[in-house]
Amino acid sequence: MVILRWYANQSRAKAHWATPLGSEMSHQGTGPVVSFENVSKHYGSLKAVDGLSLELRRGETVALLGPNGAGKSTSLDMLLALRKPTAGKIRMFGNDPYHAVKSGQVGAMLQSGGLMPEVTVRELVTLVAGLHPRPVPVNTTLRRAGVESVADQRVDRLSGGQTQRVRFALAIAGECELIVLDEPTTAMDVETRQRFWSSMKEEVAEGRTLLFATHYLEEADQAADRILVINRGRLLADGTPEEIKKRAGAKRMSFRLVNANEPFLLGLPGVVSLETRHDLVHIQTSDSDATLYALLGAGYRPTEIEVGSLGLEQAFLAITAEDDQAAGGAIPAATAMSDN
Amino acid sequence: MRGILMLTQAEVNRLRRNRRYLIFTIGLPVILYLIIGKQGSKAYGVQFAAYYMVAMATFGAFAGALNGNSIRISEERKVGWIRQLRLTPLPANAYVIAKILTSMVISVPSIVIVLLLGRFYGDVHLAMWQWIVIAVIVWLGSTIFAALAVAIGYRFQPDQVQPITMLVYFAFTILGGIWFPLSGVLQSIGKGTPTYEAVKISTDVIGGASVPAGLVIGLVVWLFIFAALATLSVRSMAETV
Repeated sequence: MVILRWYANQSRAKAHWATPLGSEMSHQGTGPVVSFENVSKHYGSLKAVDGLSLELRRGETVALLGPNGAGKSTSLDMLLALRKPTAGKIRMFGNDPYHAVKSGQVGAMLQSGGLMPEVTVRELVTLVAGLHPRPVPVNTTLRRAGVESVADQRVDRLSGGQTQRVRFALAIAGECELIVLDEPTTAMDVETRQRFWSSMKEEVAEGRTLLFATHYLEEADQAADRILVINRGRLLADGTPEEIKKRAGAKRMSFRLVNANEPFLLGLPGVVSLETRHDLVHIQTSDSDATLYALLGAGYRPTEIEVGSLGLEQAFLAITAEDDQAAGGAIPAATAMSDN
Repeated sequence: MRGILMLTQAEVNRLRRNRRYLIFTIGLPVILYLIIGKQGSKAYGVQFAAYYMVAMATFGAFAGALNGNSIRISEERKVGWIRQLRLTPLPANAYVIAKILTSMVISVPSIVIVLLLGRFYGDVHLAMWQWIVIAVIVWLGSTIFAALAVAIGYRFQPDQVQPITMLVYFAFTILGGIWFPLSGVLQSIGKGTPTYEAVKISTDVIGGASVPAGLVIGLVVWLFIFAALATLSVRSMAETV
């Protein structure tokens, strides 16, 4: 089965996406919590991060969304002073990242972060809390991370989900102002994931800033008040979940139409992307009414018309796939997620 | 500094519970001394029991510093613990410093036990200053191997570290005259090793001979070389831990 995906010219929409929404927000008059200024990280000819600029403001919960290999982890590594940018400047609380990490202003949990073997959960949390200038009582941390029941077990004998929660415990073992989490709920079951986010909300309610990378779009949609979409090392979209959905084309439309003329359909008002399979047509549009009226006005009589709202997942796919297509010619929709 | 000490304490607690490690650093030298310590009459111009006491003290301290650290560091790098530590307020070099301090702490009981064994089982009688000088030389000498372990552990994957460590271990024990005193060709090859230098300095101290400056310089040079290698390993791996 051949799936073709066409994209209308989106230059206007794209320019809009990359505009930060900062102006209308006022946060205690202080500078940004995090700023990336034209940051790049190259490994030989591979541009893992390519001219990334962004700012995080105090109290925000921000999701960093992108397909595998988009540059999420590299960006977080640079933010946390684990890697040095090839070019550009990163500031955290107005300082260099190393300084901010060493002064305990940031608590972080990385996928690649591991645990000290041969000690119990309690011993490990106690150690990491002790390294912190403003330690949180160990029992509080154990409770918040939901690892009280395994506190006296050895860390190398935990399940994947438990290990993940212990990593989270280490991230919140000290009083910090920024929490950075890389794919925090990987290896958690649904129930654990929900518990995780409810304890996360406790942390953020105290005025902390939260930045998390995820590939669970649902999670970004529910937890974040701002989403940054990155692909191939660049920032593609920056806005609330609603804005992201809207900017990718708010509505999804499908109908059956024999002998559909693709260039004609792409030229309809509001059309953002098009996919046809035999006589079945799927359209993403920013204005479903205008699209439909124009189609009918041209004399076509499509059948089985369905109009629905676009989920964040489709919005995300549309944004990244359009970017990949612009970079490397037509890319089949099926590979758009993983191939970059 | 407080953080480094906390980490060192945690590392010492871990090692104390590790039976395999304790067998290597304390068990093996003690057993070898009980079996072989009183078998010979003389070596390197001193009573055999005294030579073997020094050799076993060196063995425990250096094997502990090498075996304990190289494999652990490599494994902890692989699981991401080093990375996790870098996200804490602990300074970047704290991990390595804590590892070296830990092996210095954990080698103390192994040195003391072997020396006590030499005194009461091997019947070695020395002046107080001689006991102290021997203990300190062996103790400080073990940092040479702690540095080498850092260099190996940072550079190689766990499955590579195992054979490399065993190779270094056997080379320095056999060529260093740890398991039996060296003579002839083996001695001319082995006398450049830090293990030989540490043992020979100690037996010279016991025998009342003047210690050649070359032996002491040799130890310092080894320390310098391995510390430089360790620094290189840590730096070059900084972005991959």
